[in-house]
Amino acid sequence: MVLLLTVAAAVASSAYYRDQGALRERMEAQANADFTQQPDRHPHRVVHFGHFAMRPPSGLAAMDPGVEPFTGVMVYLEGHRQNSANFGDARQSSLLVRFGQLSPAFVLQAVAPLLLIFLGAGMVARERERGTLRQMMLAGASGGDLMIGKMLALGAAAAVMATPAVLLVGNLGLNGQVAAITGGMMLMGYGAYLVFWVVLTVLVSALTPGARPALVLLTALWALSVVVVPRVAAEAGAGLTQLATRLENDVAIQRDLRDMGDSHDPDDPYFDAFKRTTLKQYGVARVEDLPVNYRGLLGIEGERMTASLFNRYAAQNFAAMADQSRTMDLVSAISPTVALRRLSMTTAGTDLATYRRFIDEAERYRYELVQRLNRMQAESVTFKDDAAKSNDAAAEARSRVSADNWRATPAFRFPQEPAAETAARATPSLVVILVWLALAAGFAGLAASRLQRVAR
Amino acid sequence: MSAMTRELFFFLRLRSGIAALALLLLLGLGGVASGLLETQRQHDAIARMQPLQASDVSAISAWVSRSGDPGNAAYYTFHATWNPPSDLAFAALGLGDVAPSILRVRALGLEAQLYEGDIVNPEVAMPGRFDFAFVLIYVAPLFVILLLHDLFSAEREAGRLGVLRSTPQATARLWAPRIAVRLAGLLVALALPFLLGAFIAGTPGWKTVAVLGLIAAYLAFWALLSLAVARLGTTSIGNGMTLAALWLVLALVAPSLAHVAINTAVPLRQGAELSLLQRNAVHRAWDIPKTATMDPFFQSHPEWAGTAPVTAPFHWKWYFAFHQVGDESVATLAQQYRDGILERSRLAERLGLILPTVGVQLALHRLAETDPRAQLAYQDRIRAFHKRLRTFYYPYIFNELPFGMEDFDKAPRYAPETKQP
Repeated sequence: MVLLLTVAAAVASSAYYRDQGALRERMEAQANADFTQQPDRHPHRVVHFGHFAMRPPSGLAAMDPGVEPFTGVMVYLEGHRQNSANFGDARQSSLLVRFGQLSPAFVLQAVAPLLLIFLGAGMVARERERGTLRQMMLAGASGGDLMIGKMLALGAAAAVMATPAVLLVGNLGLNGQVAAITGGMMLMGYGAYLVFWVVLTVLVSALTPGARPALVLLTALWALSVVVVPRVAAEAGAGLTQLATRLENDVAIQRDLRDMGDSHDPDDPYFDAFKRTTLKQYGVARVEDLPVNYRGLLGIEGERMTASLFNRYAAQNFAAMADQSRTMDLVSAISPTVALRRLSMTTAGTDLATYRRFIDEAERYRYELVQRLNRMQAESVTFKDDAAKSNDAAAEARSRVSADNWRATPAFRFPQEPAAETAARATPSLVVILVWLALAAGFAGLAASRLQRVAR
Repeated sequence: MSAMTRELFFFLRLRSGIAALALLLLLGLGGVASGLLETQRQHDAIARMQPLQASDVSAISAWVSRSGDPGNAAYYTFHATWNPPSDLAFAALGLGDVAPSILRVRALGLEAQLYEGDIVNPEVAMPGRFDFAFVLIYVAPLFVILLLHDLFSAEREAGRLGVLRSTPQATARLWAPRIAVRLAGLLVALALPFLLGAFIAGTPGWKTVAVLGLIAAYLAFWALLSLAVARLGTTSIGNGMTLAALWLVLALVAPSLAHVAINTAVPLRQGAELSLLQRNAVHRAWDIPKTATMDPFFQSHPEWAGTAPVTAPFHWKWYFAFHQVGDESVATLAQQYRDGILERSRLAERLGLILPTVGVQLALHRLAETDPRAQLAYQDRIRAFHKRLRTFYYPYIFNELPFGMEDFDKAPRYAPETKQP
């Protein structure tokens, strides 16, 4: 049943993310075409026309969508503003998205352990109930051998459940969509996680007096680890660190900007000083005599100021989110599922850090694009035409620069994180899972000797 | 009644049963508490926003009123809209995390502003919130199963079933009271925290009763399912496994499978598409004759057709006209996008008719107004407010009237709709 479910999840999830990838690629091509096909325009018009950055779904999103449905996929990049990433799945889907998304990751993280518990809870306990356990021990079998045998049998079931996921990741690896090291770490994590549940199940089965208490205890542990703790952890994270609202950030940015210098005030000291420095630099007395368009220079300076504030506030927001995530990790130290989830999202490239990298890359691109256009305005549009363009049609026509410039603008690219860096970020969670496994194995060793003692 | 008292007495001596109910009660209280805290945070954010917004507008009015240019006023002034959590939102937080509860808009093209989001940590949103809806829909069934799966098999395993079965009127005197006591315990453990939350949040009576009805109906479903399995199955452990598997399918597997199926069946590309098209339509105005913008604008706004024609390369009336024409050019796509979200909801609701887990989840969030429909209703209110904004600024812009300090106070103010049944 779980095998079937994993196959269904792998197929449905792959198809969904293939569609998503194709859709976003189409949108990206459209956005690039829209940009390069602009007619001759004033550079500042193009600053406002802007561009779009699309976030491509990660190669392993089909395996583990992670935070993918809860993040926006498309950012509008324009001058003087920083927009949010929009059109994420969670906001445009039915509430069913809250039940979780059927993916191989979901099946292996949540469903497979419960099935292992069903299969294995009675393994040792029933032998005890029937009295066969005592017979075997008296016949000279060791507790360790018995438990290892049971674990191997249950482990075989786990291996069957994991097969479709291994095939999926392997296939993506062969297509070059996944690096060997990250794909390997992911599979290793899932392997260790399933073995952990195998060991835990047999361990509890060996320690409890009967099959039923073993089942109840294991199911409760499962519900705690898989269902309850992640949510409690999220609640703790959200409760202890509060995020600012976008409105608060926007108002604060405008206020800080006014404190730096008011571009609407002709006598503002900051912009007055900027003017004097610029004039001195070029050795002229009036802005009209500058060899470049002063308006373009003002644009460059203004964008530098706003962008520095955007970056400062964005860094604050992401730092607050990182605080929340740290709290969540601390609270969820009692759940191996959470460690696996982090490992899985990190190696799949569907975690918060990857999303932040996209937002940062989009902002960098936005800044470079706008400054490139501002420089164009400074160098290719005369100050006189620029000043007269609102009332003089001839000056307006002269203030437009050639459309060749748009075709020469590089397109936005979202490079993949180097596999070694992803692997480094994923290592701590892999270690946590292995510690869980080692702990369970240690207790299983103790249980094995106890089994022997009690039986004799 | 004596049978009832006897069963109550039995149950009170069953330590595991009492412990289970206490745990459920505790989880329920936790869910309600965290839901109340979250809605309080949303209320606080809205309260904090008001003075900030006022200071932002006054800073803009300070320099705009010097020249009195109405275009600057309309271009630079943001107007706040907000969507306070309903009086039941604490029980089912729903979209309260990813959908913004505050959005500021300007009189510029709305389609470029309407879909903006707030600052959200997706890692917090992903596991879902620990609210009352979660405790009811996911956790409570496990407790029903725990208390009812061995109703008959436990007696059989204790060797008493035969004797009990042969008692005259066993159903009325033994099983019915025993089931009633256990279900009543579950109902109380769930209803108490909810009623406490409803009292604190000031939930109106009819909604409270409706939620209590949902709780009772949902418990009844799981009780019937558990009893059916308990009756058919023979061993306690077998029954437990069957029921846990059913829970897994109903609460986790089937809904998430349906989610992928629905999103594949109703693909939504219109949101991204309309953003691209609207942007092109708006900015194209700079490259085409002014009449190509003004004529369609006057068609939808004939009241301004008689004003002075635009002759200069730039005029604010043309600027705001092309923003509006840009919005109008993607109106069909915007409608399709909205319809698509509704269609996804409708399909989920149809599934809710078959799956009680989904049905109760959707009903609870509908009552709490934290579902996609409520989000769309907020967007509709923003649309209406945006229209009022435009109507407010147009006379200044089209009649070229100065916009003074006192005019800033005349701007329309958003009023969140008083929630109606």
